[in-house]
Amino acid sequence: MPNLSEFTHAAPSRNAFKIMCDTVHALLMREVKARFGSSKLGYFWAIAEPIAQAAVLGLLFTLIGRSSLANVPVALFLFTGILPFKLFSKLLPQLSLGIASNKALFAYRQVAPVDPVITRLVIEIATYAIVYLVIMAVLAWLGFDVLPDQLLPFFVANGLLVIISFGLGLALCAAVQQWDDTPKLLSMVLTPMFYVSGVFFAATMIPAQYWYLLTWNPIFHIIELSRDAYFDSYTTPVGDWQYVMLFALGSLFLGLGLYRINRVRFSA
Amino acid sequence: MITFKQLSKYYPTKQGRRYIFKGVNLSLPMDKSIGVLGPNGAGKSTLIKILGGADYPSKGKVISPLKISWPLGLRGGLQGSMSGRENVRFVARIHGFTNTKLVEEKVSDFAEIGIYFDEPVKTYSSGMRARVAFGLTMAFDFDFDVLLVDELTAVGDTNFKKKSEKVLKNKYENTKVIMVNHSANELKKYCQAGLLIKDQNLHYFDELDHALQEYQSCYVTH
Repeated sequence: MPNLSEFTHAAPSRNAFKIMCDTVHALLMREVKARFGSSKLGYFWAIAEPIAQAAVLGLLFTLIGRSSLANVPVALFLFTGILPFKLFSKLLPQLSLGIASNKALFAYRQVAPVDPVITRLVIEIATYAIVYLVIMAVLAWLGFDVLPDQLLPFFVANGLLVIISFGLGLALCAAVQQWDDTPKLLSMVLTPMFYVSGVFFAATMIPAQYWYLLTWNPIFHIIELSRDAYFDSYTTPVGDWQYVMLFALGSLFLGLGLYRINRVRFSA
Repeated sequence: MITFKQLSKYYPTKQGRRYIFKGVNLSLPMDKSIGVLGPNGAGKSTLIKILGGADYPSKGKVISPLKISWPLGLRGGLQGSMSGRENVRFVARIHGFTNTKLVEEKVSDFAEIGIYFDEPVKTYSSGMRARVAFGLTMAFDFDFDVLLVDELTAVGDTNFKKKSEKVLKNKYENTKVIMVNHSANELKKYCQAGLLIKDQNLHYFDELDHALQEYQSCYVTH
């Protein structure tokens, strides 16, 4: 029987924002351990997966005799498409299950349903940034000119990608709450998205009369715009900031609205 | 003082909304510990959850200036895939503690479940769960005014019962308990007042015995 008088650690007094930060930190430590702690190769796979994908595509383009795509070296061209798409296609399933897989923790009043969603957003963005930096550092070492030519629009394009993913992710949380089969439908949608998002081609490589088949897709716009920013030698003929911003605003509105409506149901 | 204002809680079922509470207006003085009475499914755990902020009322609200604990129970609070230690660490962190080592040790000492402390909670027996859940509130000085206990002392062996009784009585001199328990003897040990759930409403009794009598006459078939 331990001495009860030892049990004195006064809890610090905090404001709402501090409570949220502490909660997200606690969730972060938990998620990182669960995701990467189980296998020592966890972080290795996060980097190896996009590299392997780019290597296969790069090999194909080299075999058909291309050394550059849209005036950009093949490797750089592919990575600037694969990486943003990876972020999007990993964020949606991760965020959509963020609430459902942390229900036991809502017993504590400090933990709001949105906290695990924010946590997963932070983890994926951090992983994305690290993978981007590592891959670009390796390419620079191999002699490529890897610095983005225009930094600001490049970051804005990525920021919009994050906002769209967050909005859609929150909306999907509500969908998961209503319908258990949502993840299956989501993966059915995400797989073909890879082929229509301009990951391994640019708008200038396809005839203008077929652009309408792709221009509904905000991810296509984002990849176009981020390549436009990244390479002075590439100018996108279709990338539309206004459309992407409106889409981001719309998905954020949808996500937050559905969250607000479902907030009571989430913690039940 | 805990005040219920027009509190309603329903759960959507296939047969429509099923009301647990409907338009409850009540003030609990909280000068005594309260035992919550009601048959299975009446809403005892729901009440505890709403008080603890783990669930929300469908309508109305609960107002209180008091510091109320999270619901200490067997179902909520501990996540199955995490070990006991990880659960403790998590709770310490969300309460703003940066050094969790001390807290972990305290809970480990209190729970006395040995190496299981580092195994996933889903492998625990209900007694072991109760030990960790109870140890959690003991480990730091939260200064709770009200401790919510849902069927927690009902499980566990004699040692644990003795230990938790001692803690509830000594450490929580100034803390009142709101407790759900199906054993009248357990309730009598900790509570002086009673709260009966009846007809989707709450009825407060200053004396636990009166509440128990009312419970007997309403629900127990002879």
